[in-house]
Amino acid sequence: MSYVYYPGCSLSGTARECEESIQAVMRTLGVTWTELEDWNCCGAAVSTGVSYLLSLALPARNLALSERVESDLVTGCSRCYMNLIRAQHYMQHNANLKDNVNAVLAESGVQYSGKARLRHLLDVVINDVGLDVVAERVTRPLAGLRVAAYYGCCQGLWTYAQFDSVEDPTCFDRLLATLGAEVVYFPLKTSCCGGTLSMSKREVGSKLIGDLLLAAVAADADCIITACPLCMFNLNSFQNEAGRAKGTKFHIPVLFVTQLMGLAFGLPPKTLGLHRNVVPPDPLYKKIAAGAAVSSAEAVASGPK
Amino acid sequence: MVVQALAPRGEPVAIMKDPLGNSFDFCYQCGLCTASCRTAFAMKYTPRQVMNLLQLGCEDEAAASGSGMLCTACYTCTFRCPRGVAVTDMMAAIQRLNLHRKHADRDIRRFYLSFMRTVERHGRFHEVEFLARYFIPNPILLIEEIRLGLSLMTKGKVNLNPPKMKSRKAMAAMFRKAEEIEGRP
Repeated sequence: MSYVYYPGCSLSGTARECEESIQAVMRTLGVTWTELEDWNCCGAAVSTGVSYLLSLALPARNLALSERVESDLVTGCSRCYMNLIRAQHYMQHNANLKDNVNAVLAESGVQYSGKARLRHLLDVVINDVGLDVVAERVTRPLAGLRVAAYYGCCQGLWTYAQFDSVEDPTCFDRLLATLGAEVVYFPLKTSCCGGTLSMSKREVGSKLIGDLLLAAVAADADCIITACPLCMFNLNSFQNEAGRAKGTKFHIPVLFVTQLMGLAFGLPPKTLGLHRNVVPPDPLYKKIAAGAAVSSAEAVASGPK
Repeated sequence: MVVQALAPRGEPVAIMKDPLGNSFDFCYQCGLCTASCRTAFAMKYTPRQVMNLLQLGCEDEAAASGSGMLCTACYTCTFRCPRGVAVTDMMAAIQRLNLHRKHADRDIRRFYLSFMRTVERHGRFHEVEFLARYFIPNPILLIEEIRLGLSLMTKGKVNLNPPKMKSRKAMAAMFRKAEEIEGRP
């Protein structure tokens, strides 16, 4: 299976830690790819509010570039994925729209034909690599670690619709359980984190983030795991503001899914960019070590009969 | 159909011309969109009420209320709508109406336009340039964010160098072409 990888702007900027962990974990899983050459911004959550045509043409350019190399296009950013699949879906069902998009794309010398195959990172991990292979790579099972699996919203809906349930996706839970973690009941798992409102409309964004953090704390989770760089940024960076909105104080580590996978694979935290997380994930290391000690002690106790 | 409804006086507003889902005409006011919306609590008009205003031809009122600017484009309402209305796309059309008529909350408006301007110039998002464009007109926001900014910088997450995309000139041409097709607001 050959892939081209579309990192997107977040992963090459403020979400560097996500990118570092994605690369390290995919190497460990034996997935190789080349970076999509000359990729551009997908328009994020902003383009639809400015220009309908650009909100389709920006992602379509990346799809068109991937058609040239005839490989599956993989992205680790849920928003990029959503914008790309939205563009693909709309153009597939509306020829007139596709013509307009292609007229825009002609300015950069590419055309979208409809052959592009778009894949989400989790889709590749779960369906191409397989959870059995993931399980084989686990050297430090996360026994006793309580995690809240936060799927994210739109991203969740568009992404998981491709290979899981829209209203109640479970693939993420299964992946985290494979790592040995205990997945807690987290009813807000597909609720929106507020996206860019955390910066552009503080009082609304803080409440939304606070709701999520509060639900994770109420479920007695040690950390929140997300697969979206923007959720990652919001939930990490605005815990003080969210705390004020909710009349409490939050200090809960939020990790990108590949960061937690990397820990279970025994990769060094620095390789996984964990030193860059805004909320330091250090308490988790102790917990993971303690869990490993308990499970090895149990293994010795139950030992060979 | 949406074009006429949103621009009854033939205003050259760049709005959705090809909604993929059903138009708001199909909405039967059940309110599932509002029930699904995480930001409805902060909106003057909830998504259901916005659909109703559009049905009644009151798109000016809908846009002026600023409700559209609180949509995070999470698509939950669109996925759940029993009538197949592309609610999120309608909210985006309201956002565009809002931005072009300058009704929008000034900070949100500047946020959107700064972002797109940065992408137009570099082909990719450039955090530092975006932050300069966004914060300089309202330094109070910057003071609120300064602690976070410092934290991000010390963790090596802020790239001061602009992104280097080969075809960034072509990107600017794409922006111009899109404006030409959609019409200048």
